[in-house]
Amino acid sequence: MNRALPEMLPCSDMTVLQRQRARLKWQAEQFQQQSYFCELSGVFTSQNVHVQGFQQGGLVSGCGGGDSVLSNMEMTRQLKPDPGLEAAWPELGKVDMGFGSCGYGNGPSFDMNHAISRTSSCPPAVAAAAVEVKGNAEKMGSAVGRESFKKRKVEKLQNSKVVAEDESKRIKASEEEEEESKITGPNTNKITNHKKENSGDTSKDNSKVSEVQKPDYIHVRARRGQATDSHSLAERVRREKISERMKYLQDLVPGCNKITGKAGMLDEIINYVQSLQRQVEFLSMKLATVNPRLDFNIDNLYAKEEFPSCTTNFPTVGMAPEMANHSPYLQFNPIQQVVSGCGVEMGMGMGMNSSDMALRRTISAPVSIPDASFLNTTCFTGPQQQIQPSAPWEVELQNLYNVAFTDTIEESDLKMEM
Amino acid sequence: MNTSKPPTMDLQNLNPSSLKSRFATRFLRALTKINAQKPISPSSPTEIFQRYRRIKVAADKSMAYSVRSRRTWSRATLWRLRTRSPRSRLATLARRSSVKTRTTTVVDKTSHGKENKEERGAGLGVEEEELRELVPGGEAMDLCNLLDETAHYIKCLTTQVQVMRTIANLYSLD
Repeated sequence: MNRALPEMLPCSDMTVLQRQRARLKWQAEQFQQQSYFCELSGVFTSQNVHVQGFQQGGLVSGCGGGDSVLSNMEMTRQLKPDPGLEAAWPELGKVDMGFGSCGYGNGPSFDMNHAISRTSSCPPAVAAAAVEVKGNAEKMGSAVGRESFKKRKVEKLQNSKVVAEDESKRIKASEEEEEESKITGPNTNKITNHKKENSGDTSKDNSKVSEVQKPDYIHVRARRGQATDSHSLAERVRREKISERMKYLQDLVPGCNKITGKAGMLDEIINYVQSLQRQVEFLSMKLATVNPRLDFNIDNLYAKEEFPSCTTNFPTVGMAPEMANHSPYLQFNPIQQVVSGCGVEMGMGMGMNSSDMALRRTISAPVSIPDASFLNTTCFTGPQQQIQPSAPWEVELQNLYNVAFTDTIEESDLKMEM
Repeated sequence: MNTSKPPTMDLQNLNPSSLKSRFATRFLRALTKINAQKPISPSSPTEIFQRYRRIKVAADKSMAYSVRSRRTWSRATLWRLRTRSPRSRLATLARRSSVKTRTTTVVDKTSHGKENKEERGAGLGVEEEELRELVPGGEAMDLCNLLDETAHYIKCLTTQVQVMRTIANLYSLD
């Protein structure tokens, strides 16, 4: 942690300095030490001072008033021109680097600061460990009046672009801590402004929902420009869950890649579910008609059959692995594929496709030719609710028969060659 | 391929081989039972239709049993299949109506026309309701869970269709 600090030092001087200014202004209102403050601000503007000195001074002055404060300030002012980062603040302890001392010293005072500006508490260990000077200063900045902070927004944005990646991550960590504590508290307005001000360096991080591993709550980050009351946050979480599941369904349902929008997707999903249900019904009908002439031998069945491995594809792919193993069934599969291809492309009701497939299969199979007419009637009379009236059927069926038969020959030739 | 996966869809529930094998075993057992009950070659369409109904029930039941009670739709299917008598049809209707009054997003059937339904706050009124009707047990769920159930239901339906088609293919050729 201390290793990273010197890198931060040149970059964040200005920002912390500005924050210090704002913070001290705020504190000046509270403690009304005007002359003292003017002196300090004069000092601020004059030199590029060690940040930690001011910070310490500011913190100490924030913590309590009185003589001890003044004496501390005297010490820090004397230390200002000293480039060495040896901190000699006895009551705050000795640390190697300026920032380190700041961080260390900021630990306890950070808590107090935290207590001043927050309603909930942040564990001091976490604060000392994770929060660097910059994060600390940001918190203090958020406690300051928003107008003054917004004036510095431009400068801060410029500076923050120079900031290293890990720094922004640290900020994010500190923001997340803030976020956890704040999401349950009433200080939601502060979140908004704080986020707007940090948009320069964490804008890309803001674009996703961050969930911290706290057992009680799901913590959501409010995005820039969005409302932050608990209702809209919960609503947003719900909406994102729904869209996540819609994306998953989009992968599941074939042919949904081009469709955008929830309504269209839902329509596709509904159609697909309906088609699957109709396929089940049709297959059970087929089993009802075909099975009687067979005796069931389960051992034979398991020896013969080979289930296709893919689960989500439409009929065609399912048939492919079967083809290799069952050469007597070779006739069926090209028809199957042709029919399903035709069926899908036809754009007719899905119910027609499955029934078409049945008829194709029965027509081409040498064994079950007598069933063709039989199935014609049963398909119409049986599950009537989903099958359309027979009159338009016949015409379409004739066309499909021709297509199927002409294609069958080509397909079977191709498959044989494979 | 599926990078964004809802957390509830763990693979263990839908391991293709195990779900398929469970369903296939059960379904075949039921099929043999059905075929044993009836004469081998029925001639009348009504008998065929009855057999069809039985087979369909067997298929749905075996699928729901393969999923156990892990999913709402399987529980709803099993419940529906268990109480499939005219007397309990009233119970089904009573259950459905009470469930519908509880849910807030289900549209009111007395509202006139589709336009009202589409203007509902959820914004997905018509399709959502249709989906609820399609997926068993979908009436009592919010949209988020409904989509979850739909995804699992679709997976199981595709498995079911594959197995049944394989069986039908095999036995239609012998």
